[in-house]
Amino acid sequence: MESKNVLVVGSGISGVASALELANAGISVYLIEKEAAVGGHAASFCCKATDICSKCSACVVFDKIKEAVIHPQIKLLTNSTIKKLSGELGDFRVELTQQPRYVDEERCIACGLCTEVCPADPKAIYPPFAEATPFSYILDEGRCLRFKGEKCDLCRGSCPTKAIGFELKPREQELNVGAVIVATGFDVFDAREKGSLGYGRYPNVLTGIDLEQIFTREGYLRPPTNGKEPQNIAFIQCVGSRDEGHGYCSQVCCKYAMKLAGLIKYQSPGAQVTIFYIDLQTAGKGFAQFYEKYKESIRFVRGVPVEILQTSSGELEVRFEDIAQGKVCRDIFDLVVLSVGISPGKNSWGLAKILGINLADGGFFDVKDSPGSNETNVDGVFLAGACQGPKDIPDSIAHGIAAASKVIQVLSEFASRGQGNQRVH
Amino acid sequence: METKIGVFLCNCGGGIKNIDFDAAREKVAKIPGVTCVNLSSNLCLEEGKEKMLSCIKDENIERVVVAACSPEFQEHIFRQVLENAGLNGHLFSMANIREQCSWAHEGDVTVKAVELIKMAVNRARLLQPVEKKELSVNREVLVVGGGFSAINAALQLSQVGLRTTLLEKEAVLGAGTGELGNLYGSDTSSMISAVEGDENIEVLTSARMTATEGKIGDFTVRIRKDGEEISHKYGAIVLATGYQTELALDSEPKLRAEDEAISGGNIVSQEKLCRMLENPSLEREPKTIGFMFDFSDENSRFPTLATLNNALAAKQKWGSEIYVFCKNVKVDGEGVEGLYREARDCGVVFLKSEAPPRITAEDGRVEIEAKDVLLGEDMILACDLLVAEELLLPTEGTEVLSSLLNIRRDSKGFYQDENVHLYPIASERKGIFFIGGCRGDLDLGRVLTDISSVVIRVHGLLSSGKIVVDSERVKANPQKCVACLTCIRVCPHGAIQLVRVDSDKEVAEISDLACDACGICAAICPAKAINFEGYTDEQIVAQIEAIGAP
Repeated sequence: MESKNVLVVGSGISGVASALELANAGISVYLIEKEAAVGGHAASFCCKATDICSKCSACVVFDKIKEAVIHPQIKLLTNSTIKKLSGELGDFRVELTQQPRYVDEERCIACGLCTEVCPADPKAIYPPFAEATPFSYILDEGRCLRFKGEKCDLCRGSCPTKAIGFELKPREQELNVGAVIVATGFDVFDAREKGSLGYGRYPNVLTGIDLEQIFTREGYLRPPTNGKEPQNIAFIQCVGSRDEGHGYCSQVCCKYAMKLAGLIKYQSPGAQVTIFYIDLQTAGKGFAQFYEKYKESIRFVRGVPVEILQTSSGELEVRFEDIAQGKVCRDIFDLVVLSVGISPGKNSWGLAKILGINLADGGFFDVKDSPGSNETNVDGVFLAGACQGPKDIPDSIAHGIAAASKVIQVLSEFASRGQGNQRVH
Repeated sequence: METKIGVFLCNCGGGIKNIDFDAAREKVAKIPGVTCVNLSSNLCLEEGKEKMLSCIKDENIERVVVAACSPEFQEHIFRQVLENAGLNGHLFSMANIREQCSWAHEGDVTVKAVELIKMAVNRARLLQPVEKKELSVNREVLVVGGGFSAINAALQLSQVGLRTTLLEKEAVLGAGTGELGNLYGSDTSSMISAVEGDENIEVLTSARMTATEGKIGDFTVRIRKDGEEISHKYGAIVLATGYQTELALDSEPKLRAEDEAISGGNIVSQEKLCRMLENPSLEREPKTIGFMFDFSDENSRFPTLATLNNALAAKQKWGSEIYVFCKNVKVDGEGVEGLYREARDCGVVFLKSEAPPRITAEDGRVEIEAKDVLLGEDMILACDLLVAEELLLPTEGTEVLSSLLNIRRDSKGFYQDENVHLYPIASERKGIFFIGGCRGDLDLGRVLTDISSVVIRVHGLLSSGKIVVDSERVKANPQKCVACLTCIRVCPHGAIQLVRVDSDKEVAEISDLACDACGICAAICPAKAINFEGYTDEQIVAQIEAIGAP
């Protein structure tokens, strides 16, 4: 049966942008998300404004997510993954599995009474994260005493709306859709793979994502150890980008590193910040003016260090080639931030097999024609956002909108073809 | 007769413990106009909403106040309940007694909760309904430009069933795509013949826009073609007027890329190099070629891409020695790092320097002198051909079009997008879009994205032939308006114009279609003639008075 519904896989910012665009065009959308809350990576980034907005786009994400969640044309399915895809453009059948969250989204009012009474430590029932959407709580099987065989029933007893059910089972369902948009995003490069940089071994070596989360949580740069505000901070660019295993630029790291560095300098003007880089990616409308400002207060060093050692006092010795002086140098820092890049999603291979779409050399999903477009080798399956290649938030939104546009074009073409056939018969 | 106000309190499943709801209920019931106060523990669930709906109907309630969680969560649900009960959704006001009251303080906060509710009630009393209305729109689209973006956009718009006019100032389509031919992968000439065979697309070449008026759904555009002026109506306008390049050399007057090569033909633009590469009977193939980019402008994605492509082509065709001088290679685009590696793998040498190289040209040779950052030494390269750095600039028509259409430009003269994060293709005026090089940031992937984005936007606005808008949510009172034009000057959306009401009086009128409900005009109007329903002075003052503030 021909279907006008569309499936969007992944509810990061590009999937949400696609879903909204389709829904506003009157198309019913199933938006599926493997996690308990929508938003993906983009929903975890911090605001990088100093005395002026640095155009990091982190703030626009929440509005978009909320708009999608309350949209009457969008059916959101969290905790869900695709098992099988069959059929063709205009008539795909998708088999889904939805893991139970043990809390009925429709009935949870986020009153927090269950968390209050939960005896587990850490708590087994909680909101996915502070500003999660949907705001419905989730129950963590791994922590819940009941799933460990105990007779605890406190949260269910306390729930005023009877939203909690321990007996919920994974739910299988089949959807009929006309087209599919894949917006499964990326994984952050695991900095442990670059062992010589000491991430995971030295507490004061962080990734850019760690720093984002510190700013989100604390609002200021609170170092992981000893509580002393760091005075000498280094950012190392291209960690997991432009190297042997990653033949691409992640497109976001220069900008986020400079914006985070700018934020640190704004909050602690006395701090020294150094950015080690290969090529600075300062293109993009309006970014040059920020760069001019950053140049005044941040030290930029061409060349990326390959080794970090921890001194006996817990400081970090960074060894690098000072190209300007033509020799190998070492500098001491009390915090090093690795500007980790965008890696293809770890599940890409499995999903590519389920959907029948190709992977490109870098491990991202491949496009059929021109670089950066949305079409895959399967008619009716489109790509949106960073699952196709690294993108920042505005580019992901734009790419998501473009994918929706392609869907509308093929579906309207498909519909008119169908009408033509009927006339012939 | 007093307006009947219904107040609905919700204790969030009993989770709000530091408010004494019975005491609050008693106090709220005494506020003038409050007809009924209901306490619920689950207002946002089906059973809660049902009770709310029947109460609104039974008590003939005219304004609704909900005191519960943040409007961020459930406001849309409650407005829907009003609509279902036959009440206008705007006759609704919320008091946030959870996040901004119960959760924000320790200890009993009943007093604050009651004050918040009083404020919401005072505002609700003055709320007026905002009706929806349906307006019909013209379904034709004007695409200005005749390059890759314009042609592609017209084809895609036609595919979704919208009639499109292509307006090109040159005599033929595709005139300005010379240096892009091999970049875009797809052949412009086949696209041009597709346009010519498409009955949904009208092509007007050697034509220019001379005036426009109207608003989204109803633009009237005057077009001059072959000395004649015609007038046509469109629902939306898409600008795809491209960019132009200028050689970044210290010379007066500045050299345009289309100027003939300078200094005996050995300092050239990228476009000229492309033509040389296409020429099968070139007199002398350059043995050594220098390229330059990223010294004068940080925004050098496109020059980087052109250099990599053309350097590879020259290497393959002529086997020349190639040296590329740059500050940073801008690889933050789709596939650019791959091209950069490919170029290095086949022997293209990249020399990075912080300061722009010095160029001297004599006797058919060009000397490039730069300080290489890796060696820390000055290098001098003598080459047969220097492909000079190019600056991307807006086309001359950009200024004219932006003033005809009343849209802003950025500091470099490109069209300025309304929202840098969300829709880089949208101008601040609804129904006017721009795509591709004319908005100042260009590489292939992003151009394709622009085109698709504009197609879905325009399709969404025009395809059904009608738009549903809020009717008179923001309205200028003709009795109070003194036609000072302040609102017309400040409105970023071009939504306000003067209309004549009688022989000696003109007043401001706000178009429901073009208005974005930003509220700037309402705030600035010196005569206080503009009313923004839901945020009027009276409603704000009433809220302040509710808590006894002076």
